Amino acid sequence: MTAAGKDRGPSPHVRTWPVGLGITATIGGAIAFAWSFVVGASNQWLGGSLALALLGLGLALAFWGRDLAGDEVLAGRYPVPPDDTDGQAALATQLDEHASVITRRSFLSKFLIFGVVVFALSQVVLLGALGPWPGNSLFTTGWRKGRRLVTEDGEPVTRDALATGGFLVAFPEGGDDKANSQVALLHFVNGDFVPPAGRESWSPDNFVAYSRVCTHAGCSVAEYIDVDQMLVCPCHQSAFDVLHGAQPLAGPAGRPLPQLPLAIDKDGFLYAQSDFTESVGPGFWDAT
Amino acid sequence: MTSRRGDHDLKRGLGSAFGVRRSPLRPAARWLDTNLGGSGLLRDELRHIFPDSWAFFLGEIALYCFIVLVATGIFLALFFQASEAPVVYQGSYAPLAGAEMSVAYDSVLNLSLDVPAGLLVRQVHHWAALIFVGALIIHMLRMLLTAAYRRPRRINFVIGVSLVLLVGMNGLMGYSLPDDLLSGTGLRIAFSITESIPFVGPAMASLLFGGEFPTAGLIGRVYPVHIFLLPALIGGLLGAHLGLLWLQRHTQFPGAGRSERVIVGTPMVPAYALRTTGYLLIVGGICAAFAAFVQINPVWLWGPYRPWDATTAAQPDWYMGWLEGAVRMMPGWDIQIGGLLIPAIFWPAVILPGLIFTPLLLVPWLDWAATRDGAFHNVLMLPGQHPVRTALTAGFVTFLSVLLVAGGNDVFAFVFGWSQPAFLVVLQYLFILLPPVIALLTYLLLRGRARRWASTVR
Repeated sequence: MTAAGKDRGPSPHVRTWPVGLGITATIGGAIAFAWSFVVGASNQWLGGSLALALLGLGLALAFWGRDLAGDEVLAGRYPVPPDDTDGQAALATQLDEHASVITRRSFLSKFLIFGVVVFALSQVVLLGALGPWPGNSLFTTGWRKGRRLVTEDGEPVTRDALATGGFLVAFPEGGDDKANSQVALLHFVNGDFVPPAGRESWSPDNFVAYSRVCTHAGCSVAEYIDVDQMLVCPCHQSAFDVLHGAQPLAGPAGRPLPQLPLAIDKDGFLYAQSDFTESVGPGFWDAT
Repeated sequence: MTSRRGDHDLKRGLGSAFGVRRSPLRPAARWLDTNLGGSGLLRDELRHIFPDSWAFFLGEIALYCFIVLVATGIFLALFFQASEAPVVYQGSYAPLAGAEMSVAYDSVLNLSLDVPAGLLVRQVHHWAALIFVGALIIHMLRMLLTAAYRRPRRINFVIGVSLVLLVGMNGLMGYSLPDDLLSGTGLRIAFSITESIPFVGPAMASLLFGGEFPTAGLIGRVYPVHIFLLPALIGGLLGAHLGLLWLQRHTQFPGAGRSERVIVGTPMVPAYALRTTGYLLIVGGICAAFAAFVQINPVWLWGPYRPWDATTAAQPDWYMGWLEGAVRMMPGWDIQIGGLLIPAIFWPAVILPGLIFTPLLLVPWLDWAATRDGAFHNVLMLPGQHPVRTALTAGFVTFLSVLLVAGGNDVFAFVFGWSQPAFLVVLQYLFILLPPVIALLTYLLLRGRARRWASTVR
């Protein structure tokens, strides 16, 4: 224990050199930091000098404190656990006594609670300001009957724009809701693609378009691996078999990518026969 | 007045004559007492006792990360603009010159590449967040391993677990703000997860996000949540956590002179205050060192968020890795009942977090149900003293670790040259088998030691 109040010489156990070294580092780091900022030095200089300054001072204080901690170990008392049941009973009685001034007015106090509840419930309507009711929005995209396929730059996609074995990303002309309308357009070698039952007329000249919004978590199914004929989502690695209706092959997706019914007009432009016939993207309660 | 002054001078003269040293802080103490009162209380609290152990600094690391985050966050808020309005990039980063992007992304690029020291502050902020969650989780594991959550600290444990939850959520909000490709993808997944909740999902997602994703104004909605709502909750709960800690005193490990009634440790002034201020600066210094030398989230490389772009090997911040892993591992078992659908992602992304956090919040009461020990405890148990508790914690850590590895399954598979789908199957088995195995091994390992411990204590 240091003698308080009498001879207040330096505490004997505090070693000078680590503390002194730390403070010196801080002074050096502080100057270097200001200099780095003024001359516009790199992030490494700026951050390195700041780190040196903070660590120097921090270590100095920590060392000093640690040496002092060895000098003085105190013992004290924890708060006493409440075994004073009389006190608790008294508190309860007191609360009861004073609160009963209110509760004695039985009708009025119940009416008060009723009023407060009605008010609280009325405030729930404010939630409605946060966003629109989903309505039809999750079931529709920017595709409509007759709407042409265009590239990201707005170029219409023609029969000749994509050779067999090729792949491109297409959107509905007009650019509505590009995020949920994006499709992967694939042009297969004749005979490779097996149209699912009922969709025989959706893939003219072996052009097939699948929604590019993953049915798992909604990321863009951005990778086309042509050797395996798969579309793969980079977020959670769901893989879809493009030759068989984009059924899931591996990974966490549970449902196939919706297919867009395509047609080709007499000038060779690709267009949609309609919107998707099912909701695109991840599943939800009434999606099917 | 004159007489009082004279009196004062006289006392001073007498004091020095008898060699009694007068504290130079006397006027300050007098001012405090006459203006605010309570100098006696303060005098006691200056000597507040803190038991010593390295394990008790884990919570302090977390606290100091919060301070670093608030300080750096204020700087960032001066430059960040929460708007999705389109703008053409005209900053100094040549590869994006002329690119169309949101005002938000543009402001983050400007902050990172053109504001002096901006990159440093942004990287300190991000590193502090990563260390914050890590410190909180290790701090929480220390509570579990030493049964620190027993009476009278049940409520404070619940506050602590809530803090883990809120801080993790705010981290998610933070990396959603820059409106780069990764942050947009994260928000898209968050929308999909909300949408998956049976019955209320679509309406909830629409209300929370302001319509069908991607919605204009979403960044402007996330921003006040990130810088005001969640930090206010976190700050308030931190205050309550520390206030309770102060009133109840800190727990201590068993040792000579220590008991449930007697606390032994270092007084706040001088030793503890010096040390802990030092630790604050060290935490700041470590964040600064990481920010200087280890690049984090170089948003300029990802490019602006466009919903039809994607990047491979995208990874969330590490503390979301367990959730990412669960989402990747869950097989695509969509449940369809008569036109209604429960998407498979609902189970790992909504139910699993509930299954993790609900029992965690109830740990003090579950422990009580198992041990029937409702007494006040100020002395901690050692992990080896209670094999069941330690084994359950080990199993829990294993469970989270498998999930975390699964969150990077593509990266692991790529680095080690494994088949990704095969590795995922291995992970699915490990997820089921490894936690109970590790828990059992821990139990068997500690059982003998615990018996010997009990006999020596007797």
